Amino acid sequence: MTASTPVPAGSQPFTTKDYRSNLKPIWCAGCGDFGVATALYRALAAVGRPPHEIALVSGIGCSSRIPGYTNCYGFNSIHGRALPIAQGIKLANPDLLVLVAGGDGDGFSIGGNHVAHAIRRNVDLTYICMDNQIYGLTKGQLSPTSPRGLKTVSSSYGSFEEPVNPLLYCLAYGAGFVAQGAPADMDGLTALIEAGIRYPGFAFINVQSPCVTYGEEKFQLKAQKLRLEKLEALGHDPADFMKATERARAYGEKLYTGIYYRCPSPAATFESMARERRQELQSRAASRSSILDLFQTA
Amino acid sequence: MISDLVIGMAGAGGDGIVSAGESLIAAAAREGYYAILTKSFGSQIRGGESSCRLRLSAEPILSAGGTLQVAVALNWEDFLKFGGELPVGSETVVIYEEATGVAPGQIPLDRPRPALAVPAPIARMAQETAGTLKAKNTVVLGLLSGWFGLAGESIRSGMRRKFAGKGAEVQAGNDRAFQAGLDYAAQHPLGSGSRRLPPPAHRKPKLLTDGNDMCGAAAIFAGCEFFGGYPITPSSEIMQFLNREIWKHGGVLLQAEDEIAGLGAVVGASFAGKKAMTATSGPGLSLKGEMLGLATIAELPLVCVDVQRGGPSTGLPTKSEQSDLWAAAFSAHGDVVRPVLAPITVADVFPVTVEAFNIAEQFQTPVIVLSDQELAQRKETIDPIDTARLQRIERRRPAAADLDPYVRYRITPDGISPISYPGMPGGNHLASGIEHNENGAPSANGAVHARMNEKRIRKLAPLGDRDDLFTREGPPDAPIGVIGWGSTAGPLIEAARNLQREGLAVQALAPRLLYPVAEKVYRRFFASLRVCLVVEQSHLAQLYRLIRMFVDLPCPCHSLARSGANPFSPEEIAGQIRSLAGLDPAAVPSTPAPTR
Repeated sequence: MTASTPVPAGSQPFTTKDYRSNLKPIWCAGCGDFGVATALYRALAAVGRPPHEIALVSGIGCSSRIPGYTNCYGFNSIHGRALPIAQGIKLANPDLLVLVAGGDGDGFSIGGNHVAHAIRRNVDLTYICMDNQIYGLTKGQLSPTSPRGLKTVSSSYGSFEEPVNPLLYCLAYGAGFVAQGAPADMDGLTALIEAGIRYPGFAFINVQSPCVTYGEEKFQLKAQKLRLEKLEALGHDPADFMKATERARAYGEKLYTGIYYRCPSPAATFESMARERRQELQSRAASRSSILDLFQTA
Repeated sequence: MISDLVIGMAGAGGDGIVSAGESLIAAAAREGYYAILTKSFGSQIRGGESSCRLRLSAEPILSAGGTLQVAVALNWEDFLKFGGELPVGSETVVIYEEATGVAPGQIPLDRPRPALAVPAPIARMAQETAGTLKAKNTVVLGLLSGWFGLAGESIRSGMRRKFAGKGAEVQAGNDRAFQAGLDYAAQHPLGSGSRRLPPPAHRKPKLLTDGNDMCGAAAIFAGCEFFGGYPITPSSEIMQFLNREIWKHGGVLLQAEDEIAGLGAVVGASFAGKKAMTATSGPGLSLKGEMLGLATIAELPLVCVDVQRGGPSTGLPTKSEQSDLWAAAFSAHGDVVRPVLAPITVADVFPVTVEAFNIAEQFQTPVIVLSDQELAQRKETIDPIDTARLQRIERRRPAAADLDPYVRYRITPDGISPISYPGMPGGNHLASGIEHNENGAPSANGAVHARMNEKRIRKLAPLGDRDDLFTREGPPDAPIGVIGWGSTAGPLIEAARNLQREGLAVQALAPRLLYPVAEKVYRRFFASLRVCLVVEQSHLAQLYRLIRMFVDLPCPCHSLARSGANPFSPEEIAGQIRSLAGLDPAAVPSTPAPTR
């Protein structure tokens, strides 16, 4: 069974609580990450893979604590490097369901390089970026998605920089699945994560996950509920790349949720091509023990 | 009668000097000679100067030799650029391109003046026989074969195979060029400069390989199923070898976007349960530092090969140095013991790399293999390796009882906790770079941190008894000791053997385990010593100081240490040992006074 193999309705063997670990989150009360975790558990239950066949990899940051709160094989790694580690896991064992989670700093600052290459490799990962426009764990510095002019402890007089646009970034590098969700719409967020998991290739889901301690008022859940516009309700066609790009440009101004882009004809994944190459070449192999025969001169 | 021959050749990039060296060593391998070929280039991508040196011997050899017995210069400017890499001495026969217009008495080599300078019309012969200057290297092969009795038929048949795809005319032209060289040598005997290599003791063909290919082959043998890396000189050939081979054995190779991602993918693959490896050189090792620390604290097995070059920074990308030892041992932040192994010959790269996988898997730790450019890129003919005697260790998996409930980082008597892998029911856990308790739950508790540090370091204690990871040679009660590692160990052991033949009681120690420092093994070695010399290619004498950091030295311990690029020769090391013995005559009571 692969990640994208749907489990028939009514036969789900696992429930939401099967994916929740018994560790108590360190997140602040009211943190958006609680909503992301709950949506993740629900989406995993809907997909129905047993917890031991799931690997969830994160970097460092508040949001990167999420593997500890999830019952599966978790890996809370180092800052910015969740994607390379997750790719190693998936390539080593393509039968696993591999998810990546982390913050905007992890994905678009210290680890920004890896996003582009994970996309062009098209490894079948679901990457959830919990975007809160701030560095929470280190107590309130600028993040790569902080709006220009934001005053923080590291930008006392206001920042000079334009924010990274994670949606446009991933679309530009050719991601086959790009979506945005928010905990203000739990059903929508759950459905997006499930759709990302079922997409047979690299899937990117940006989640507007507000920081209740250091975040701006306009990013909090209450404000989110008022600002949120569902792409579906706008008649958005996820197969329309140009329209997706256009709407992604509104990142920071508009809060669209839903699937911006889902490639109607998904490209082959790295791991499927690797499998073919192995099948093609394995017949040519001598045993591992006779590898030194390659150096014979006679 | 001589038993070996050291030939050095240099020319411009397009002259095919290195290719001539490769033809010679391939022929030598087929004939059953022991041979070592080292190549050296300017840092140009194409063109520029290039050189090679080839030592051929009927007996086993451990170094590329010292002063050249035969030097070939296709032009003087390029030859001289290599300086100490192609040392000419008073016994050297220098063969050079006649068209350089330099009279034998005027050649730009006079410190000391070589035994013989022989101009030969190499370019003219190439042009006349093959119609192209590209055949100059083939003429050189003919000259060398004719003058020094080198494997003529094997060279000729090897060249025929090499040029097989290039058409009958090219092949015939090369044949004529080779014959012209042979004929010229026959018509112009060297007289007093003549040397002929005896036939090898056994005409059994040898394997022909280099350290990087051996490293890749060892990974396959050990069961490696994942390689992640990034191109970097002089390690790229490891990735290139595995790129050809790993798929055939069910594995995957990822050329990552950077050094960090390459190792990151290896960490992931190891977490997923596979034996995994990366390879890099100094700058890459620096970049990988944080990820290596993650593998240490998450207790994930992996092998990281560092093929050393001159540093810091870009340094000398194409030249050997032994200056990454401290970086390999100590670049981690926090309290970390990360095993560091180093092979001492090209053949040794194979068992040492296999052992790196074994240590990684057994102790759930990253292991660094410190190769160096010299071992990695020199070609060597080697005897077949009996792989049946090599062990292949697998990581300890949880038994049913360990899964009820599973405690990933359980503190066990030996410090090693059974490790599950995604897909294994009941083995769910959190791996993390953050400190964690036995269950894997994050913890900032000082007592937990102390316990886990203790566990992670204690589990490696058995390495301190691994005297099998050291080569010790010479009389065990000898009062003079020499220590050297990596590509320096070969010339060091040869020097010790030569001195033993002269009657000097010298013993040599070559550690393959560099870190943790096996104090007991060193203490046993030092037991009989009155004086010791540590030899290495590092300005800061990194091994010398590393040993002093951990071992109380009972005798005066001296250092012969210098920056990289020029390898040590056995004669240079022997000279130092002689003078050391002279400095402390009491140390060598039974031997005649050594001469400088």
